Amino acid sequence: MRFLSAAGLVTILSGLGAYYATEQLSWFSIVNLIVGPLLLVTVVVVEIGRFRGFTGASSRRVALRWGLGIAAVVAASLAANLLGMRWHSTIDLTVERRYTLSDQTLLICEQIAANRDTEAPSLLFLEDALMAKEVRPLIEAYRGACPGLEVRETRATDAPPEARALLSSADATVLACQPGRCELAGFPSEENISNALLRLGRKRHVRVDFLVGHGEVNLASENEYGFSGLAGALRDEGIQVAALVGAAARAVPKETTVLVVAGPERNLLPAELAAIERYLERGGSLLVLLEPGVTTNLEPLLGRWGFELPKGVLADRAGSPLLEDPKPTSLLLRSYNPFHPVTRKLSNRTLLLMPGARAVIPARKPRPDDDLEGLVFSNRSAWLEKDVVAALADRAIAPDPDEPLGQELPLAAAGRYPRARGEARIVVIGDRDFASNRLLLALYNRDLFLNAVLWLAEDDEHISLRPKAWTPHQDPFTLQQTLAYFYFLAFALPEVLLLLGIHAWYRQRGA
Amino acid sequence: MTQRLWALFRKELRTLFASPIAYIVLTVFVALSGVYFFQHLLNYNRLLFVFQSGAISGGSFDAGTIPLQVNSLNDLFIPTSNDLSLFLLAVLPLVTMRVFAEERAQGTDELLLTTSLRPWEVAMAKHVTTYLFVLLMLAVSAIYPAAVVIKSHLGMEHLLALYVGQLGYGMAVAAIGLACSSLTQSQIVAAVLAYAIPFLIIDFTWLHPVLSQGVAQVLDEFALQSHFDSFARGVIELRRGLYFGGIIALGFTVSVGSMEFARAR
Repeated sequence: MRFLSAAGLVTILSGLGAYYATEQLSWFSIVNLIVGPLLLVTVVVVEIGRFRGFTGASSRRVALRWGLGIAAVVAASLAANLLGMRWHSTIDLTVERRYTLSDQTLLICEQIAANRDTEAPSLLFLEDALMAKEVRPLIEAYRGACPGLEVRETRATDAPPEARALLSSADATVLACQPGRCELAGFPSEENISNALLRLGRKRHVRVDFLVGHGEVNLASENEYGFSGLAGALRDEGIQVAALVGAAARAVPKETTVLVVAGPERNLLPAELAAIERYLERGGSLLVLLEPGVTTNLEPLLGRWGFELPKGVLADRAGSPLLEDPKPTSLLLRSYNPFHPVTRKLSNRTLLLMPGARAVIPARKPRPDDDLEGLVFSNRSAWLEKDVVAALADRAIAPDPDEPLGQELPLAAAGRYPRARGEARIVVIGDRDFASNRLLLALYNRDLFLNAVLWLAEDDEHISLRPKAWTPHQDPFTLQQTLAYFYFLAFALPEVLLLLGIHAWYRQRGA
Repeated sequence: MTQRLWALFRKELRTLFASPIAYIVLTVFVALSGVYFFQHLLNYNRLLFVFQSGAISGGSFDAGTIPLQVNSLNDLFIPTSNDLSLFLLAVLPLVTMRVFAEERAQGTDELLLTTSLRPWEVAMAKHVTTYLFVLLMLAVSAIYPAAVVIKSHLGMEHLLALYVGQLGYGMAVAAIGLACSSLTQSQIVAAVLAYAIPFLIIDFTWLHPVLSQGVAQVLDEFALQSHFDSFARGVIELRRGLYFGGIIALGFTVSVGSMEFARAR
């Protein structure tokens, strides 16, 4: 019997081992997985005599009672598990709260729940996504947070017909689908999945044109000062991005939802300035990023719409020590306008990082009906450094003793201008590099830019805080650390435990 | 009642630690975990080296970059955690097989049951002692995942989530072993059952190729391993806890029921 039980165990282990090693249910595994349990059942049947007698007259009542008791425990466990699945409750203890869905995702879920009668989107996790080790808690998080969303794990062959065209892509791991249409999410991360849902649900076409030709940042550039990351982030949310050569275009195109002027270094042509003025008068939206130390003829235009742009660069000793490369001009910002849609979701726990920014003061409304507000403000310890060259060259700077400190200076401002042909909207931000590839994903920089674009596009319902990008730890263990672990864990600790065991054995024999 | 329980509990603890088997089990568990942890460590360092040197990308534009999927969480922490759960499965039946069966074989259970002690009190003392032993095993082995957590800045909360899961998993496996031990007087049969049942329910992915998707998903809800994975990822889920709690309650009920039989016979 002992041999049979051992043989049963060995065959089961061999069958499972062969399956896990080859990831295939081969004939070898099947035969072993059938023979092994049969051997064990044989052992149990033959050895049944060693079990308690279940048939004795005196134990019949006890058998019934405990049989019912066990059935009740099984039923209660199943019911508790079913309830647990229904009321999904989790505690995310990861440092980055990786499985706690972001504000953006929760907003999308709310919108899906509100429209569930008319549209029924579903999220399909294909086999390749399920291979990714971290995807399972993410699936559970979506199931728990999005009751209006059908979350399915499916084989590629069972995907709906509208998904077939997308399945040839190497990124075909997660699909967001509605009847008649699917969007590909790519690698199964919260950011990709939520963006796919966002694209699926976007009803209005939004096009953002970046003015080029005056030294503005390059949308296609992948270097650290380029804007390729920003262009990608806009496209991921279903926003069309295009470059607009101002000198070649007589007017801002009608299809343009938002015009972005991202840090021009040279003057615009008078015709371009006139085109922008006409665009705003007909209810257009303009986003301007400025750089300290650079003066162009865009500033008088912004002045006519109420923005005052004092010369100088903002400096602050308070925020910079937190950074790896401390400079007074590298600002950590945490003071926002809590009432404006662009910054309403930001708080003193959601910081921005701007490396060299200028002040943007909402000074005077062109008309009484206009609305002009500051969006982002410096710390009270900040000052406006007039010597821009010295500040940006990292030379020593200090606040002017004659200038009072203690004011929160605005670095970004927004204006609404109701006009006869539509409402014009303008956002001016006193820094360009905060949205560059180097800093876009730092802190909440991306959220400020994308939320400003959404507000300008009058798409307030999608303004949110996006999932934070996860940075995995990829540091190797040094040789010394590895050897220390090896000696301590594989030898020293077992040695101590074994000595304790020998001591217990001698004591038992002595007793 | 509390005093009786406390006395029983102390007796069980003395029995467990007076025998060398507890120390041998601990030693085997720690040694196995240590060797496998070291192996994962070597593989992880090797993988990083291969990607950093560009040997895999073959000198293409992304030479020297490490894919995001290769990181200390995926390649060190999770495999180490999974190993610990498998080793628990491998060594716990050696502890649980004797808890009830040995007393039954020696006839000392009859003595216990003729006293004023109730079967549930005896079973409770045995279960709690075994669960404490599981806790001790996990405490001794905490050094492996803790090393990864500290080095990789995963956070002590993540380690806590893992150990909540390990404890639930270990207690569930121990409860199955104790229930098996309470059904028989043969330690061999108790061990065979204590190995066979968890091995049968540990994972059903090997059945997926021959099952429909719906059945496979339902079956996965009963798999031990699938309930443990999310803890290793740093997430404590209520329903996973309820699953382990259900197995523990079932194991305890079977043990008490089995002792009631002994008394009624």
